[in-house]
Amino acid sequence: MTLPATHISTFYNGAQQYAAEVGGFLREGLECGHRGLVMAPTQRVDQLRAALGRDADDVTFVEDSIAYAPQWNVYRVLQDFAATSPHVRSRVVAEQVLTRRTPAELVDYRRLEAAINVVFAEADVDLLCPYDAGSLAPHLLEIGVHTHGVVRADGGLTPNGRFDDPFDMLAGLATVVPPPAHAMTIDCSSPADVADARRLVHARGAEVGIASSVVDDMALAVTEVLTNALLHGEPPVFLHVYEDGATWVCHVMDTGRGLLDPFVGLLPPSEPSDHGYGLWLARQLCAAVDVGTNRSGTHVRLHTRTPARRA
Amino acid sequence: MSPGSSRSAPTLGSLEPGTHLCAFHQDQGQLTRIAATFIGQGLAAGDRLLYVTTDEQAEAVLQALPAHVLPRDALAAGQLVVSSFADAYGPRPLDDLGTAADGFRSAAEESRKQGFPGLRVAAQMEALAPLFGSAEDVIRWERMATGCKREIGVSSVCLYDADSLDDELAALLVDEHAGVAPEVDETPLASFLAVHEPWGLRILGEVDISNRDILHRTLLSRAAVQPQMHLDLEGLRFADVGTIARLRAVAASLPDGGWLTLHHVSAAIQRLLSISGLGHERLRLEP
Repeated sequence: MTLPATHISTFYNGAQQYAAEVGGFLREGLECGHRGLVMAPTQRVDQLRAALGRDADDVTFVEDSIAYAPQWNVYRVLQDFAATSPHVRSRVVAEQVLTRRTPAELVDYRRLEAAINVVFAEADVDLLCPYDAGSLAPHLLEIGVHTHGVVRADGGLTPNGRFDDPFDMLAGLATVVPPPAHAMTIDCSSPADVADARRLVHARGAEVGIASSVVDDMALAVTEVLTNALLHGEPPVFLHVYEDGATWVCHVMDTGRGLLDPFVGLLPPSEPSDHGYGLWLARQLCAAVDVGTNRSGTHVRLHTRTPARRA
Repeated sequence: MSPGSSRSAPTLGSLEPGTHLCAFHQDQGQLTRIAATFIGQGLAAGDRLLYVTTDEQAEAVLQALPAHVLPRDALAAGQLVVSSFADAYGPRPLDDLGTAADGFRSAAEESRKQGFPGLRVAAQMEALAPLFGSAEDVIRWERMATGCKREIGVSSVCLYDADSLDDELAALLVDEHAGVAPEVDETPLASFLAVHEPWGLRILGEVDISNRDILHRTLLSRAAVQPQMHLDLEGLRFADVGTIARLRAVAASLPDGGWLTLHHVSAAIQRLLSISGLGHERLRLEP
């Protein structure tokens, strides 16, 4: 029988503590015959390789610049890794450089950390998320504090008394942000309008100075979300385009639908299908995706970084 | 919809099969524009087009057709067929409406056998005029054509020279048709053009929720004739994931030995295929 997944945080201070805590977590797993996956910044990967020595050869390493590009890709990497050996439990380390994230991306990261407790609840996985307590600002550490059921410290595991219910947290992160007055807006209530929406995204994206390949991705994401609105929502359907701090936002709204399940589109459809790709694909193409519903309708905000903040 | 109940210009790109339209031209230029619009939109939607006209007028329309339907290629692939009135309808169609109706049926059947989802006919009616003894003959003919074409799903436009008709007959003719064909061509989002050798289809433009069903039915019609198909995507500027899903569905539905090979697949489409995981053993990629 498969044990339920565990989602563990650890708060380290310095390279030595990191290597001991995270290296120990992986080594314990390898000793039980479990598989190992590490998604982490280059520097942490190097420290783990050094700490594990030869055992590092049994661990799969993926740089955070690949695993978290974009952030929701982590679910895909995790799912694919677990699927390659379905009857063997996996130990997974997941960490990225949070200081480089825009505010919109950090909100999405909080969702990612909360939802993983539900999405991967049945997976045969122990997942450890290291947080750099020595350098991360309190608002970043706080994400880790409330989203993990278990805390690891000095090699021991203890239940996390500050763990928040993921459903409550996701509901709290689904607040609708209305489009600002300066947004450029077009009506996209007819299927023929979707091509016009792409024209607007290309024209405005170029004006804002976003690279053409990134604008192409945004145009595809907008197409998919508008298609969802046309198929499942109620007219009128609008696209609002505007800059919002560190990100450029393409905001699709329709006036229908009930509350959207916050778990829709976090993973791809399990079987090839004619539909069900829209929101999931948008999360693979954009820096962050906000989904919210209120009396005005269903709102999906697709973010990409404005040039000043591009790495 | 009863004949003549609608006077708004029909949307030719998504014309309901079996729609019987008419149009009245003041001069050759207007005739050419109306015919080229009807033919261009039909070709872009993947249908076979039969143009019943003179050689001279056929050449004028070929010149006027938009580049995005590749008119000369359409002729070569048998998607555009030009015919004289006698060849299309027989020498004495008014004496034998049953034979004329059989002619429509066999033309529709033949276009299916050639891998086209539908047949559309643009017919210049001047050649018919000398055969008409009276206005009643014209109306009798048009009423038969409306019923027959609706039944077999062939859309058509009857092109009348306005100078040859009095106002009363023109009004009667409008009443016998579902609408008046437009003269102004709008570039469709994509063209789905038949290719005979190698067997398959060429897509030019963008495919999304507004036109991917047209692509789907066109591919199925091609597959029904020969399940080894080539899809030329060199002119495809955009496709959404629903389009990729339909390509996969068509490939997956092919019989043993069938395949759908994509040619000139852009980096964007390759990426979409890879992210979505919508590959299939019968969906092949050629550079």
